[in-house]
Amino acid sequence: MSCGSLLGDSVDIGLILLDSSGNIRLWNRWIEQRAELTAAQASGLTLARAFGDHIDPRVVLVVREALDFGWSARLSHALHPMPLPLFPPGGERNERMKQSIDVTPVDADGTRCCLLQIRDVTETVRREALLKQQARQLRNDLQSLSRAQVELQRSEMRFRELARQAPAGLFEADSQACCTFLNERCEQILGHSRDCIARMPWVDLLPIDDQARVRSSWRLAVESATRFAEEVRYARPDGKYLWMRVEAGPLRDENERISGFIGTMVDVTEFHERASRNEFRANHDGLTSLLNRDRFERHLRAALSGAREVKDRVALLFIDLDHFKQINDTHGHQAGDIVLKAIAARVRRVLRSEDMVARYGGDEFAVLLNGMGDEPALRAIVIKITHAVALPINLGHCHVRIGCSIGMAVYPDNGDDPASLLTHADKAMYAAKRRRCEMTGTSTTLA
Amino acid sequence: MRSFSELEMDALTEAFNLSLGEAAATFSAIVREEIELSVPTIEILSRDGLTQRLESSQPAGASERLCRINQHFNAASGFQTDALLLFPEHGSLEIVRRMLGDDTPIQHITELEQDALAEIGNIIINSCMSSLANLFKTEMTGSLPRVQSRTVASLLDDKDASDVILVARIGMSMAAHNLSGFVLFIMDVPSIENFMAQVSRLFHLPEPGESPVL
Repeated sequence: MSCGSLLGDSVDIGLILLDSSGNIRLWNRWIEQRAELTAAQASGLTLARAFGDHIDPRVVLVVREALDFGWSARLSHALHPMPLPLFPPGGERNERMKQSIDVTPVDADGTRCCLLQIRDVTETVRREALLKQQARQLRNDLQSLSRAQVELQRSEMRFRELARQAPAGLFEADSQACCTFLNERCEQILGHSRDCIARMPWVDLLPIDDQARVRSSWRLAVESATRFAEEVRYARPDGKYLWMRVEAGPLRDENERISGFIGTMVDVTEFHERASRNEFRANHDGLTSLLNRDRFERHLRAALSGAREVKDRVALLFIDLDHFKQINDTHGHQAGDIVLKAIAARVRRVLRSEDMVARYGGDEFAVLLNGMGDEPALRAIVIKITHAVALPINLGHCHVRIGCSIGMAVYPDNGDDPASLLTHADKAMYAAKRRRCEMTGTSTTLA
Repeated sequence: MRSFSELEMDALTEAFNLSLGEAAATFSAIVREEIELSVPTIEILSRDGLTQRLESSQPAGASERLCRINQHFNAASGFQTDALLLFPEHGSLEIVRRMLGDDTPIQHITELEQDALAEIGNIIINSCMSSLANLFKTEMTGSLPRVQSRTVASLLDDKDASDVILVARIGMSMAAHNLSGFVLFIMDVPSIENFMAQVSRLFHLPEPGESPVL
């Protein structure tokens, strides 16, 4: 074996040497393993005869150019993927091996020959295809990432703008109730900026009496991962008192652990004030602000059942103004209203704060005295009321005086239920009025 | 080295103009697009002079790498030349990927793409050299193409700094793709003399020292 063919058989590249007539002179082992011909069979044949008609025409052309003009040429895989019918060694012969061919003129023994160097680029093609696939994947991922980023930015902007314009206070707090976010409205409601209260639980801003209750409610919400909802009183730094409704729901992190709460703070002061105004109106007389008849009777029932349990005594007074109609007729209804308001205030004043006074009818008042059963004390109160009522009342342009008749009933002496006590007091009041009329010679119908 | 007369330089320009016209036509056929050629400029420069010239032709501040496709030729009549085809790297990528119908976003040229570029350069350069060989009625054997991607500053590092280089420069631009490249022929002093002698013969110029035949 010649040195040349030994060398040719040792390299990992295909070598074909063609003489000046284009006949095969060298056909190395690498080619033998990938073509269907041995070196002996190929020797002396042209490329076209050795490979049949299955050669890329450009191979024939560049071989011609190399032999005739001495030019070199490269046939890249990208432009000529499989120019020669070569197949992977030992593999199936259904697809040609991917190749790249260099064609160069060489001088051998003073004549010009042509050398074909054939490289197997199958692995390079596979590697580059993978690289490109990864690059495409990366580009797609990058595109979806940037789309997601744009969407995120948009949604963040939307949220920020929504939070800014929201009529409710929005806040985010950690499990310790320390605020990590407050929108502008929330800062207005609290009267504090987020920076001021960032490191303290918002619960600490509440009146001391309410803190323990709200704190335990917050803790319960954190522990049970449920909604927090409370209505709380709040004194703002500017001295204004508010009622706030605070509601919050748990926020979970990517591990489903609760990372904090997000929720709303709404100023419900007006709602509270309206509700208490409505409640007052439902229970009180609009003119005198005393309890109304309904409310008074409910208090009476409650007082009786309480007294029944502790064996206490309860006194009920019925006050009726004498000749009130006359004042109305003479001075007008406005004057009548002034008189009723003045009498209500005076009766209220002579009683203890725990005693109940109600405007029971037009010019009738009722008084409920808890634990006031003994006769002398009751008499003293009746006298006090009578005197207070009898003082002159200023109508602006003149003064008027008015008297009153008072009837009394005591539990349990005069009845053990509201109805019988009310009837008793009413009767006693009429009896008293009759007596006063008899004394002054006026008719009871004037009442 | 002797200096060349204006007449000689004109003849040189014309010789390159003819050969580069062939090359551009071949390139145009490969990319199936019209190629515009600028008027060739012929200069004799030092290596560093050429580098400076190339740097100044780049947009200000650009540090773009150039793809250099290089083939060495030996003419039987006695001159040697390095034929260089230069494209901005991104432009070369655009040509190759367009031809391969591939828009994969890889920043640098891959091995197979570089091979394809070598083949394209090879076809253009061979076509140019064949037309020169025809003009001079000589034979030129050429090496395989070699592709390198380099910055302008290091583009000619393999040449000797003291080399005198005949630079035939022609701009090729693909109008549709805003891409322009250059073809350079680099020769040493003896080759320049030899080459000029052949050009003179081709255009029937008077021998140096003779008065021109009018």
